[in-house]
Amino acid sequence: MSQATLFYVANLLVYGGVDAIACLGLSMQFGVAGVSNFGFIVFQAAGAYTAAVLALPRDTANGGFQSYVGGLGLPFPLPWVGSALVGGLIAVPFAILVGRRLTGHVAAIGLLVTAVMANLLVTNFVPFLNGAAGVSVVPQPLQNQANPNGAPYQLGYGIAALLIALAAYLLCRRITESPYGRSLRAMRDNGPVADALGKNLLSLRTAMLVLGGALAGLSGGILVGFITLWSPAAWGYAETIVLFAAVIIGGLGNHKGAVLGALLVPLGFEEATRFIPSSFGTPGLIPALQWVAIGLLIVGFLWFRPQGVIPEPRRRILSRAVATAGGGGGAALLAARPARGAAPPPAGTATPGPGAPAPILATEAIVCSFDGVRAVDGVSIAVQRGGLTGLIGPNGAGKSTLLSILAGTLAPTEGRITYEGRDITDLPAYRRARQGLVRTFQLASEFKRLTVMENLLAAVPDQRGDSFRGAVRGRRYWRRDEALAVEEARGILADFGLEAEGDSYAGDLSGGQRRLVEIMRALMARPSLLLLDEPMAGVHPTLARRIGRRLQSLCAGGLTILLVEHELAFMDEFCDPVIVMAEGRVLDQGTMAALREKAAVVEAYLVG
Amino acid sequence: MSVFIESIGFGLVTASVLAIAAVGFTVQFAVTNVLNLAYASIMIASAFVAYAVNQAGVSVWVALVAAAAAGAVISMVVNQFIYAPFQRRGTSPIGLVIVSLGLLLIIEYLVQALEGPVNVSYTMSQGATVIVGDFNFTVVQFVIIGLSVAFMVGLHLLLRYTRFGKALRATAADRTLARNCGIRTGRVVLLACLITGALCGVAGTVFAINAGTFAATSADLFLVMILAAVFLGGPGQPYGAMVGAVVIGVATEASAALITADYKYVVAFVILLVVLAFRPGGLFTAGARS
Amino acid sequence: MSGEAAAPDSGVAAAPRGAALAADAVSAGYGGRAVVHAVSVHVDPGEVVSVVGPNGSGKSTLLKALVGVVTALSGRVLLDGRDVTNWSPEVAARSGVGYVPQVDDVFAPLTVRENLEMGGYLLPTRVVPGRMARVLEVFPRLGQMLGRRASRLSGGERKMLAIGRVLMLEPRAFILDEPTANLAPALARAMLDEHVRQLSRTGASVLVVEQRARAVLAVSDRTYVMTGGRCQLEGTPAELISSPEFVETFLGGGRARPALVGDE
Repeated sequence: MSQATLFYVANLLVYGGVDAIACLGLSMQFGVAGVSNFGFIVFQAAGAYTAAVLALPRDTANGGFQSYVGGLGLPFPLPWVGSALVGGLIAVPFAILVGRRLTGHVAAIGLLVTAVMANLLVTNFVPFLNGAAGVSVVPQPLQNQANPNGAPYQLGYGIAALLIALAAYLLCRRITESPYGRSLRAMRDNGPVADALGKNLLSLRTAMLVLGGALAGLSGGILVGFITLWSPAAWGYAETIVLFAAVIIGGLGNHKGAVLGALLVPLGFEEATRFIPSSFGTPGLIPALQWVAIGLLIVGFLWFRPQGVIPEPRRRILSRAVATAGGGGGAALLAARPARGAAPPPAGTATPGPGAPAPILATEAIVCSFDGVRAVDGVSIAVQRGGLTGLIGPNGAGKSTLLSILAGTLAPTEGRITYEGRDITDLPAYRRARQGLVRTFQLASEFKRLTVMENLLAAVPDQRGDSFRGAVRGRRYWRRDEALAVEEARGILADFGLEAEGDSYAGDLSGGQRRLVEIMRALMARPSLLLLDEPMAGVHPTLARRIGRRLQSLCAGGLTILLVEHELAFMDEFCDPVIVMAEGRVLDQGTMAALREKAAVVEAYLVG
Repeated sequence: MSVFIESIGFGLVTASVLAIAAVGFTVQFAVTNVLNLAYASIMIASAFVAYAVNQAGVSVWVALVAAAAAGAVISMVVNQFIYAPFQRRGTSPIGLVIVSLGLLLIIEYLVQALEGPVNVSYTMSQGATVIVGDFNFTVVQFVIIGLSVAFMVGLHLLLRYTRFGKALRATAADRTLARNCGIRTGRVVLLACLITGALCGVAGTVFAINAGTFAATSADLFLVMILAAVFLGGPGQPYGAMVGAVVIGVATEASAALITADYKYVVAFVILLVVLAFRPGGLFTAGARS
Repeated sequence: MSGEAAAPDSGVAAAPRGAALAADAVSAGYGGRAVVHAVSVHVDPGEVVSVVGPNGSGKSTLLKALVGVVTALSGRVLLDGRDVTNWSPEVAARSGVGYVPQVDDVFAPLTVRENLEMGGYLLPTRVVPGRMARVLEVFPRLGQMLGRRASRLSGGERKMLAIGRVLMLEPRAFILDEPTANLAPALARAMLDEHVRQLSRTGASVLVVEQRARAVLAVSDRTYVMTGGRCQLEGTPAELISSPEFVETFLGGGRARPALVGDE
């Protein structure tokens, strides 16, 4: 290989590695967690500047031709470490600023604007980072130990970048393929439902902003050590669009796609235009057309192949589990499983009447009004432990609103809720779910791009692999835990007759099957109190009856269920007592047969 | 304090340009439900159409008509053939924002490929200085303010008092219900895109006139000011956008005078970020929607 | 009951004042999945026909399929015997079918006057003031709040506006989706007795979906009972009210057939 080729290859390796690291960070945020960070480039810039000012001597050196803060003259590898740290740290204010709203396009615009603003500030405030000219003559790593202009150094730098990119890839894959990654993808598919299943969305999003920020920062640090200068022109907001283009074109939700995208778009474009003679067209024509092409690729891919070159793989957990387990042992473990939050209520906190056991859940005069209309108007109910309680009423009676209030999805205007003897009125939804108060939704709420099996596993609480740290520790750390959960899920799948669909995407199922996924998922959350909102809508009657019996036997094992349903035949057969609501109030309570005899109930249904 | 007074005058000119752009943007958003970030690139493309006409020896004020036509046609084409098909397919709002960013690159850099990365100026005279109270304006600035006021009044009359204007608001409020009234909402959307596109074209040209010189990428920062005005007033609210434009326009120019010109955009951005963080529905939309 | 049908109120060209609207074995639903299964209903000029049934029985979807808001997957929709299946909502309005949805029934940011003007969008401009005056005679309360935004109206006023908006075109057929939803019981009965019944007086046909079965029976000529996306019973109010099956379709019970009906 000639000297020139060597330099060229080294160059390719560095840029390829840097772009791949950055794309991996964005892939974690956007492809896996569904966080649209249009300010992504700021993190790379922060890393690059950090590495530069850590490596540079005081700005009075070199005759003071440039001014900047810092200038610590730290030896390698501290600048790189610093770049990753700062990239991760500046994600924290981002996360706080946009908070829980990080999915809407409002937040996306906010991040885009922040990127533009940051660039403007750095450009105009010269003492900070030398303004538009940027920082230059950044010392290269180990430049005193080796000759940075020699081929071995350059090649070594390229290989180092490549190895770090490989490590980043393995880390990202490890996180994505863990139970924690599953939670991230669940949040991406449907945030509010993930919240109701006990996922802390704020913490998940913050973690992804920090991880992506750290990777982006590191990529900037590696780059600046190679090119030795960094200025605002290198990180215009359009550069973020390039990275988005790369991730979309490569394929969202899988990191091979991110790496491929990095090689195709930022790197590939630079290299392709290298071979166009510079005399071609007017000056600036080629770069302009390059941008046009990136725009065309974004629009074209989103239209013709939104899944990208490498689509997100379907994770066939069930067939893999069946293969390893040899088909045996699908036995349901439901009855043996401890419900979470099942600790008996602290003595003395609840005041049960003589002989009457304390209710698991009680409300006191719940009121909820929207625009002055009282959808729920002073409801006090008590749900007794270990039974199937029904909740019925005509349209607009306030049943679903009440359910949402109980689950914490909606806040009541007035009133108090006690669960297991504790006041939970102000507890957020995900924390209620963690205490065993789990709900399902009336509208379809499956995680569409997760398989049925993954939908079930996503609900399992307290999994070892369902934390950032647990995910990083790797499969060996959480494998046994996961295997148990898979076994449990297989049992439930068998119970509900959906074994054949275990590895299908939940979004591809029929309406009735999707309702079942939801019930199964809620059961996997190990509830002690389950709130079901019209679970039988669209479910075949024979199956509905089977599910009813299944739920009944679960209740016999200690589970409590509160269920809204308009198919009264189901109430007849399985629910006792049944609470009737009309116009936001509780009308009556009793067995279905008794209720049917009451004039007020009949009138509520017939007259409204 | 004369510098300050002067800056308020500048602010009014900026606000006038911004108002035309922001109102067009927000009405388009209300009707199509697309946050069309490519709007800035369509502004500049239209300004270059006016430039071509101007180079042929026509007054820039006449060329404004050509710019309006160009903006109308491009906006209509982009909506009918790109955004609408994506929407019919069920693409998420975020997906559409990404599509619009792609379009932003395509249009902006097509212009640059055609025109080169150079700054150009219209051939025109700034005219004499007009003194109104404490303010000094050039005739051109005065005309820009006059044009903007005329457009705002015109739009107000259109939206409030014409059959089409009411149908447009009805379509923006509830497309299905509008169809139930017999309104051909497809045509309303098309026509609304043409009108807001024309506003976009005019905005691009007066922006270029006001800036003195312009290039293919000149409107990128201005887009952020448009977004600031739009979100300040509440997305989809034309009157909110008018107020937002005045606030942002005056605030940026006043801060340029009081602090330093380098940070004038930063003030707009800070206002926008604060609004996004605490009142994403805008300042003037409290309880307006049920 | 439809005696006045043939007597047009003025010298306006002798257009038929009512239109016969029918669903013939219509199946409809969302995303290609049916929630209404082969339902046939028809309403003739001068008639008030109601469709009642419990939550989720597919009543609203049936109406939406009639006016083209939801796609009919099979079956036919007929207007005066003409096949108009899957017409667009605009064409339905232009053909004289006025539809009042259950929710989102007014343009919230528009004023009361503008809502009525949108109702009369298809009319020549000079006819609009006269029509509006006539609508305000029916709903005098709206006349006092013409400049108020629809989002600020009470539930009852809002529903009056929704019906008034449709009245602007003096349609030949009215399709009302739960006009008494979210109204207090007394107000609901007044709405049905005074207004819904009145709509048919000029010979128009009225198809109304209701959950308040007993109240709507009192103003209906005929009634269909739907459960689980299918039409279970049909008859005159007198026939239905005395039938034990009728009460059971709402509240289930011993002899009723299982009400669990799925989509498979």
